[in-house]
Amino acid sequence: MRAIIEPPPEPGTPPRPLWKRLAWFAALAIGGSLAAATLAWMMKALLPAT
Amino acid sequence: MDVYALLLSRLQFAFTIAFHIIFPSFTIGLASYLAVLEGLWLASRNPVFKTLYLFWLKIFAISFGMGVVTGVVMSYELGNNWSVFSATASPVIGPLLAFEVLTAFFLEASFLGIMLFGWRKVGPGLHFTATLLVAIGTLISAFWIISANSWMQVPAGFARTAGGGLIATDWWAVIVSPSFPTRLAHMTLAAYLTTALVVGAASAWRLLKEPDDDASTTALRMAVGMLAIVAPLQLIAGDVSGKEVRRMQPAKLAAVEAFWETRTAQPFHILAWPDMAAETNRWELSIPGLGSWITAGDARAEVTGLKAFAAKDRPPVAIVFYAFRLMVGMGVAMIGLGAWGAWLSLREGVERSRPFLRAMVAMGPTGFVAVIAGWIVAEVGRQPYVIYGVLRTADAVSPVGAGQVSASLIGFLIVYAVIFSVGALYILRLIGEGPVEGAEAPPPPLPRAPGSALAAAQQDPGGAP
Repeated sequence: MRAIIEPPPEPGTPPRPLWKRLAWFAALAIGGSLAAATLAWMMKALLPAT
Repeated sequence: MDVYALLLSRLQFAFTIAFHIIFPSFTIGLASYLAVLEGLWLASRNPVFKTLYLFWLKIFAISFGMGVVTGVVMSYELGNNWSVFSATASPVIGPLLAFEVLTAFFLEASFLGIMLFGWRKVGPGLHFTATLLVAIGTLISAFWIISANSWMQVPAGFARTAGGGLIATDWWAVIVSPSFPTRLAHMTLAAYLTTALVVGAASAWRLLKEPDDDASTTALRMAVGMLAIVAPLQLIAGDVSGKEVRRMQPAKLAAVEAFWETRTAQPFHILAWPDMAAETNRWELSIPGLGSWITAGDARAEVTGLKAFAAKDRPPVAIVFYAFRLMVGMGVAMIGLGAWGAWLSLREGVERSRPFLRAMVAMGPTGFVAVIAGWIVAEVGRQPYVIYGVLRTADAVSPVGAGQVSASLIGFLIVYAVIFSVGALYILRLIGEGPVEGAEAPPPPLPRAPGSALAAAQQDPGGAP
């Protein structure tokens, strides 16, 4: 867990370009949604077909 | 109907939902706490808030995961053990649960990744946005779940079809059913109280070992402030909710207070031994008139007793009666702890009183106890109905055998015991370590022996030490 959670930028570190930050924001959000959706789809497969 | 299958199905749902509610009641408050911590860090750049955020984020992630795992099970139970309920009520209640997944769970799942993995990648502003969205997501989740449960308590805005099923005729009335607003307030405040007690207990535990720990001192002060404000508010919300129960579910109120006769100036039973067969309390320790005053706001008011309802329409009295007293007892203790902490804050400082720190540690689990006791009052008090006045629990169960339900119940007991033990021990271990500034920084490289081939290298390009 220690290595996984990302701490905030160090003080004085120049910010990344806005487009890169927004791209990461979108990528992580979509990744999270897709992970939840994939898990849900796999669990749905456990239900018997009707 | 197999009465053993019914009893075992009820036990199974009670066990899994009591287990599940532990996690949302903690993460709802913790998500808001994280948002406050990050907001304070952004505003002040005080490293204590960052340290606390990173510490509680770990515990939030584990608790959130355990909440998801224990919550998914119940969807399957509704289909497997309560198929008649599902077939009858799903056109009304199904969309509420679906909205919870679509609007709340996906919001939380999407932005939790940014909270955990993206602070440097997205920068402080967008990271705070993600934390806020997760906190809002937990509250939206509470909104839909309490909406669904409130509809089962006081159903409105529906009609029966020719086939005996239920359909919604007024979605607004379904979503915001009569008891919903006060129940949502009561549950949200309970979640905040639960979190304040856990954060306070963890901080107090740390301060008993390291009295000068800045992060734990800050966290304890925040927890005590929350407790001092929210615990009295919860008393008011609970009182309003109780008065609504008198109007909307009088049999439940009669069971909560062990009132058998309908009369004016009902006494308040501090303790009693309700006997359902004899339709009386075998003994009771009571204060005259106080029951009517608490439940109706007037010591001379007439309050309906259980004998006004047919025996088959009465909830189990003793469970509801004692669960309610346990919940209220915990709530009064929380108010006392908050008042004591506020008084100490104005004098020597709350972190300097070792008796208070020990009391705070002891009170740490009481939020969970009160939440589970409160849900027992709500759910057992609604019996013998699963949808109050509409569908009896005995008529809602699936045509399954006791053997099948026993097997799955034993499976749940074993799996949950393992999951809960591992998860709880890991969370307790993290709490024991406490918030340490810089704990999330990458570990320093291992020292290399002087004269070795790599001793002069500043950094291994391969990343290995």
